[in-house]
Amino acid sequence: MRRPRLALAAPIVAACSLVLAACSGSVSAAGDTGALTVWIMGDSAVPFQRLVRPFADQTGIRVDPVAIPWDSIDQKFTTAVASGEGPDVLQIGLSKLRTFADSGALLKLDDQTLRDHPGLAAAEFLDGMAGPGGDQVSVPWVGDTRVLFYRTDILAAQGISRPPVTWDEVRADARILAGRGEGSYGYYVPQWDSALPVIMTWTQGGGIVGDSGEVDFDTPEFHRAVDIYVGLYADGSVPTNADFDQIQGFVSGATPMLVSGPYLAGAVASAAPQLNGKWSVAPIPGDAAHTSLLAGSNLGVWGSSDNRDGALRLLDFLAQPQTQLHWFELDGQLPVTKAALTDPKLTADPLVSVYVKQLGDAVPLPLVPNWDGETGKALLDTLNSIVLTGADRDTALRGLYAATDGTAVN
Amino acid sequence: MILLLAFGVLPILIALPVSATDMNLAGLADWSRIDFVGLENYRELFADRAFWQALTNTGIFALLGVPTVIVVSFVVALLLHRSENRFFRTLRAFYFAPAVTAIVAVSLVWGYLLNTQFGLVNHLLSTVGLPPAQWLSDPVLVKLSVALVAVWRGTGLNIIIFLAALKGIPREYLEAAELDGASGLRKIVSIVIPLLRFAFFFVAVTTVIAWLQFFDEPFVLTKGGPLGESTSVSLFLYQEGFSASRFGYASAGTLVLFLIIAGVTLLQLRARRSDADR
Repeated sequence: MRRPRLALAAPIVAACSLVLAACSGSVSAAGDTGALTVWIMGDSAVPFQRLVRPFADQTGIRVDPVAIPWDSIDQKFTTAVASGEGPDVLQIGLSKLRTFADSGALLKLDDQTLRDHPGLAAAEFLDGMAGPGGDQVSVPWVGDTRVLFYRTDILAAQGISRPPVTWDEVRADARILAGRGEGSYGYYVPQWDSALPVIMTWTQGGGIVGDSGEVDFDTPEFHRAVDIYVGLYADGSVPTNADFDQIQGFVSGATPMLVSGPYLAGAVASAAPQLNGKWSVAPIPGDAAHTSLLAGSNLGVWGSSDNRDGALRLLDFLAQPQTQLHWFELDGQLPVTKAALTDPKLTADPLVSVYVKQLGDAVPLPLVPNWDGETGKALLDTLNSIVLTGADRDTALRGLYAATDGTAVN
Repeated sequence: MILLLAFGVLPILIALPVSATDMNLAGLADWSRIDFVGLENYRELFADRAFWQALTNTGIFALLGVPTVIVVSFVVALLLHRSENRFFRTLRAFYFAPAVTAIVAVSLVWGYLLNTQFGLVNHLLSTVGLPPAQWLSDPVLVKLSVALVAVWRGTGLNIIIFLAALKGIPREYLEAAELDGASGLRKIVSIVIPLLRFAFFFVAVTTVIAWLQFFDEPFVLTKGGPLGESTSVSLFLYQEGFSASRFGYASAGTLVLFLIIAGVTLLQLRARRSDADR
């Protein structure tokens, strides 16, 4: 029996070392040639290659974008931290910023480091996109916000002439729209969207962080947000299946209203060009305020990158207003530098002017240690247990207070 | 032997000390930020409702899945064994196809079939006048749907094992029984099943282990939702370890799962030995 096992072992060892070589190869190759490896989220790596072509021409530094799926960024990052071998520059979703900053794997971008790059100063960017506290490890890159999407044709057919402005109007309109018949709803609540209940709280004039800097859900404004969230389900205006497809639902008209980001506009435009002109966007509804979510991504430099200077020059290039506008043309992602956001090329589009206006009244999610994995998940689990499984509201909310007790910002 | 040590024993030995720390992403980058917390992870784990839910789900999955896989595989193997002609050989390949198809493709197809809005299954239900079912969103149905996909995927390999064992049964026994006038069912119960004891044992052990480590199907089909109703222990550990970066906590859970699997397997081995002694 021993012999075949050894014979088997050889190819396995060979395969393992091949895999290892393949992994380390891509990293070390970047170091050898002075090229910059850049992790770009989603499927934007191809347009990114086109975006940085002028940079490569000017500086002679090659840029190798690597596409990282949103679903696997946590594992990729963990592996990179564990092995110490990361990219040179990476895109960081705003909700991951605190986790990534805490890991200590990113280069500190203090004034000293950024001395030669005035374009990267915090004052150049939208307020609120900067990292936590003084430990700044990233600079803003693309902006994102949430607005109300609605089907003008379907609303008009039901006698609704303008988009709802308050959440009460949303509920009332949604009830009318849901009355169209079997399989029709009025509004769509994504069951994975932990930002929506927070936006609802903001638009009631409140917040989810108390004066002490700790997360506090036990406020009248949050309770009113829960009323809205639970009420939409109680009205029967919202589909309850978890596998509901929001693009399909909007295109088919099953859910003619929802709160989403500019990416939905792109998805709808490409999935159903025949709907052009039959839908529009409006500022986020609200009773006391119309504050929406400020999301988007920052760029960070890997701490042990052997081409720090090149990485900073790339960041500088990407923060220039014309690059930011070019990126919007190429990939539809909103700029974050103040200069680019006021450019008439951008604001001429009526949809984009709504986004840009909303970006002016938008705040990021609180920078708790782990929003996606802990605080936001607890919030969603609580609300969904009330609306989907009929859990007792007070008990569920008490569970939420206990689960998030002592979660501090910074 | 070195491979076994490096990939089998070492990870478990490392998980043991890690499970007594609060290691997370920050600790991974800088080892001085790891603190020793003793049995705190285990205390938290046993107080964690999500962990108990995952354990219960895994138990339900195993109770649903293991007998179904064994019975279905055996019956299909018996049917396939009846003939050696081209049709049956094609059928054999057909039954094996799910086992060799990539799980992502499988989940995509099943996700579409079971989709509440535009799924084929609900469409078929509607043609006979039945209301649509929430295959992947209902707390009870989701367990059945996920288990169904896993059964569909898991039978192929076991059918091949049973088929191979069936071919090993000497024809003389069956012919002798036939001369004595034994019926088809009688032959299966009195000759085939006892002679296939080892195949049954092997299939039972591997299937139980596979179902206790159940991960792929809920991960790709539902991500453990809705509200953790289809989260298995492995998926729970993955979420804690890789999404929430709580490596210490996940290591503690891994060891608990390892002990459960080792315990169940030892029980099966013990049962087998007393069986063999008789």
